[in-house]
Parts: sequence; C-alpha cells; structure tokens
Amino acid sequence: MPKQTHTSGRTPWQVTRSVWYAMFMREAISRTMADRMGWFWMIFEPLAFTAIMVGIRGFIRGGNLIVNAEFIPWMITGLMGFFLVREGMMRGLGAVSSNSALFAYRQVQPVDPVLVRNALEGLLRTFVFMIFIVGALLLGTNMFPDSAIRAMFWWLSLWCLGMGLGLITSVAGTLVPEVATIIRMLNMPLLILSGVIFPLNQLPHWVLEYLMYNPIIHGLELLRGSFFEGYQMIHGTSAGYFWLFTLITISLGLIMHVRFKESLKAQ
Amino acid sequence: MIEVSGLYKRYHRQRKVYDWVLEDINLSFPKGVSVGLLGRNGAGKSTLLRLIAGMDTPDRGTIQRNCRVSWPIGLAGGFQGSMTGRQNVKFVARVQGGDYNVTEVIRFVQEFAELGDSFDEPIKTYSSGMRARLNFGLSLAFDFDVYLSDEATAVGDRAFRAKATKAFKDKVGKSSLIMVSHSEGILKDLCQAGVYLKDGSATWYDDINDAIAAYHEETSAVKATDSKPAVVKASGTKPQEKKTAPEPQTLAQAQQQRKQRRAEFDKAKTAFEQAKADELPSQEQEKHANAFKTARKRLHQARQRVEAMKPPS
Repeated sequence: MPKQTHTSGRTPWQVTRSVWYAMFMREAISRTMADRMGWFWMIFEPLAFTAIMVGIRGFIRGGNLIVNAEFIPWMITGLMGFFLVREGMMRGLGAVSSNSALFAYRQVQPVDPVLVRNALEGLLRTFVFMIFIVGALLLGTNMFPDSAIRAMFWWLSLWCLGMGLGLITSVAGTLVPEVATIIRMLNMPLLILSGVIFPLNQLPHWVLEYLMYNPIIHGLELLRGSFFEGYQMIHGTSAGYFWLFTLITISLGLIMHVRFKESLKAQ
Repeated sequence: MIEVSGLYKRYHRQRKVYDWVLEDINLSFPKGVSVGLLGRNGAGKSTLLRLIAGMDTPDRGTIQRNCRVSWPIGLAGGFQGSMTGRQNVKFVARVQGGDYNVTEVIRFVQEFAELGDSFDEPIKTYSSGMRARLNFGLSLAFDFDVYLSDEATAVGDRAFRAKATKAFKDKVGKSSLIMVSHSEGILKDLCQAGVYLKDGSATWYDDINDAIAAYHEETSAVKATDSKPAVVKASGTKPQEKKTAPEPQTLAQAQQQRKQRRAEFDKAKTAFEQAKADELPSQEQEKHANAFKTARKRLHQARQRVEAMKPPS
C-alpha cells in the first residue's frame, strides 16, 4: 500500500470526527426531511406492520403458549429488535454507492457513511421503540422492561450485530451486485426464521439445531428475557455465541473495508 | 511542496487491466509555483490531478504532500445530487474542519457563485456551468496551499471566467495552482511552470511557454502525418490591419472606439478559437494568436481611454 502523508495540522482522529459530524447531519436531514412526511412514515410503518402481524396472529390463533410473556409485547420486542438488525444490514447496502460523490474529498472514507448510517438508524429505531413502549404503557399493556439495564444492553448488542452485518454487506454488495440481490431476498424468510412472529419453541429439536445458527434468534431471545421476568428462552440460547458472532462480523467488516478501500472508492 | 516519485497508475475494471496511464512519473512541485498540465486528451492529466488530490491511489510510487491541497475543482463529482447547493456547501465546510466558520463559508460561496435562488435547489437540477461555479466558489472559501483545477474555468460565461481568473490571481503569493486546461491564454496568464504529459511520461518545463511549445510540436506533427496542410480555411478570417484613426477626444468618441475594438476583438477571438479547435499547424495558430493578442491589447487601450475620460462618479 503506497504511503501518503499530508500534514494539515489535524490529527486523523480529528479529521474523522469532523467527517462523521458532517455526514451525520446530512444523513439525518435526508432521512427525516427529504421524503414527504418522512417523520410520519418512520413511526407509522413499524406501527402498521405490528398491527398487521398482530391481526394475522389473532386469526390464526394457537401457539400463544409463551411462558411468562404477553403476546403483543413479546411480538413488539421481537419486531423492533429484528428491524434494528435488518435495517443496519440493509442501510449498509446503499451506503457506499449513494455517497460515492463525496469520496472526492480525501477526508471521507468508504467506511464513514456505513458507520454513520448505522448510528443514525440505531438512534431513530431507539426513538421509535421508546414511543412504542410509552404508547403501550398508556394503553395499559405492560411493556416496561423488567430489567431495564439488561434490556438496554441487549438492544445495543443487536445494534452492534446490525453494524457488523452492515459493514460486510456494504463491501460485498457494492463490489458484487448479486450479493445485494440475495441479501434483499433473505429479508422475509429471516423474519420468520428469527422467531419474530411465531415462537420457535414448538419446532422439532432437529430443526432448531440448525435454526440456532442464526445469531438474531439469540439476540432477540436475550432481549425478551430482559423484558419479561421469568421468560422461557429457546433452549440453546447463548450470549457467548451471539457476541462471538457479532465481534467476528464487525472485525471481518472492518478488515474488508481496509482491504477494498480503493475499489470501493473507484466504484 | 508536493513530491511525486516513481508513480505508476493504471485502471482496473471488472477484472480487466488496462495499459499504464502514467508510468514512472517523478515530479516535484515547488512551493509557490503555479504549474500547468498539458497533453492531449487521454494523456493522463486528470488522472495525475486526482492522484495528487488523494482521490485515487497510485499502483506504485508515492505522493508526498506537505501542504493543504484542494480537491480537483472542475466539472466532475464532489456534490451529492439530491441535496441542495447549500447543504453540500455545509457538508464540505464541516469536513474541512473546525477552524472554518460554516456560516461564513456559506455566505462567501453564495456571493461568489451567484446562483440566486437555485442555491436552495437540489444540485441535480443545476446546469454544468452552475455546478462549476458552485464548486469553484466552494474551493476558494478555504485557504489551500495548492489549488487543483481541472478545466475549472472552461465552463461558465465570460463574466464568470474573468472573475475566476481574477480570484486565482489574487491568491498568487499565498497559494499556488496546478491546473489542467486547453486554453493556452489562461495557462500563460496564471502559470509559471509547465508539465507536458505524453505516452504516460511527464516532462517538467521551468517555463510554461516551453511546455506549450512542446505540446504544439506534438499536435502539429500529428496533423502533418495524416492530412494535407489546412491553410485555406484560415485565410480571410485574419483581422485586417486597421487604418490609423485619430485619437478620440471626447467620451462619446472613446466609447465609439471601444465598441469598434470590441467587435474586432470578438472576431479575432472566434478566429483564434476556431483555429485551435481545428488543430491547425502551430504556425497558423500562432498567426491567429498574435492577431488575437493585438486585438485584445487595442481593446484594452480603448477601455482605458474610456475610463480615463469618464467623469468621476
């Protein structure tokens, strides 16, 4: 790698910080203000989705045997946690290509828009989740986490997982467009396979054995465990596996960004 | 001070590897010296500029910049189309660091670019001239040691071009310029030294005129090999010698003279530009260039006369 030095009087950290700040402001504006009623949809979309899912489940009935957890809060925590991971992954896909004009400024690196988008997405999702919790409390549903500290911790953990996946998809999806298509296809099955809508408890053991490779299940179960005292997590849920997976994805994503920095800029 | 040593660059796209664009470039751009980059289309001028700016990395070799270098100012890139001009300017001001006051920068750019209400419209609605004006104004809002210009003055109307050239001239002493341009007048105006790029290699000339001469030699050599001399086209366009008119005595006369000379100047200019566009042999171009220069001088004199006679306001 050719060495390039430039002494502009700012440390690399200062440069990166100002890039993050500038990028965060622009992303925040384009996320919330650019679309018509961007704010409205940000809150209404998950709300509508939750309502539809609850309605469908109400019809289908059965399988509501969730130990120590009410069904609707159970589903809301699952959906919110899942969206957090999924959005982190999906936002990464377009992050590099939609900001490619900005690589004209050498301070801006391809990893910056991915990290900034993830941070912004996480903040927005946290905000929406809080609105849901407050809304549910006002409606008399017990949505308040029984262990708030643990709930926050697992919420942040899911955020980290989303970021790791986003880092990987941003590189892979930009360099190989087919990967982006496949990731978009994975979206829907992942929603069901992660135990967001249907509890996976009743599935046969041999199916679960495979499903439990999916780290999102672990994260969601642990999040629910912190929300509902005495909640029966799926057998085999492991915080260690979840964190191992998360740290590996983050490191792999960062390594890919270092390795493919130039190809990403050239895209 | 920018040091380029052992620089190699080629492009890879979709597993395909292209020929070297730049091969073993060794250059050192001294502090405070403005440099013009010359070469035919595809000679690697813009690539070199992008490499100096740090937008791209070389395949081999190093670039050392021990000063603040701008991004390449020109047509391409640097703005996100869906955001407004103001938002883009804000972004760049923030990226460039905390010692710049963002509102100051915005005010400066807004004044310089003269975009009017379009400043708050998305960039994708801009014409190329508007984009260039915005990009140019934006780069001037920051104190770079070296400005990189990729045909930045090529677009835009006459007034803006004059303004841009003046802005660059005002920066002389504080900062220098590395510019790509096909307009030799601007190169001669603004640059002291020149770099001539041909077949992937670069030659440094301490005098921009020598670089231009080398460039002419190549283009006329190309012309001579593949076509018969194209002299016929040029005849008739050359401005005629003026009859010596008496010096104007009144303001009205002076204005009349200015008007006339403006017409002469415009004619000479179009002839000269046509000659350049046709890539006529260098002797032919020289003739037009000289005629153009005389016309410019005469226009300038007439203007000065008008200015001198005008009652002080």
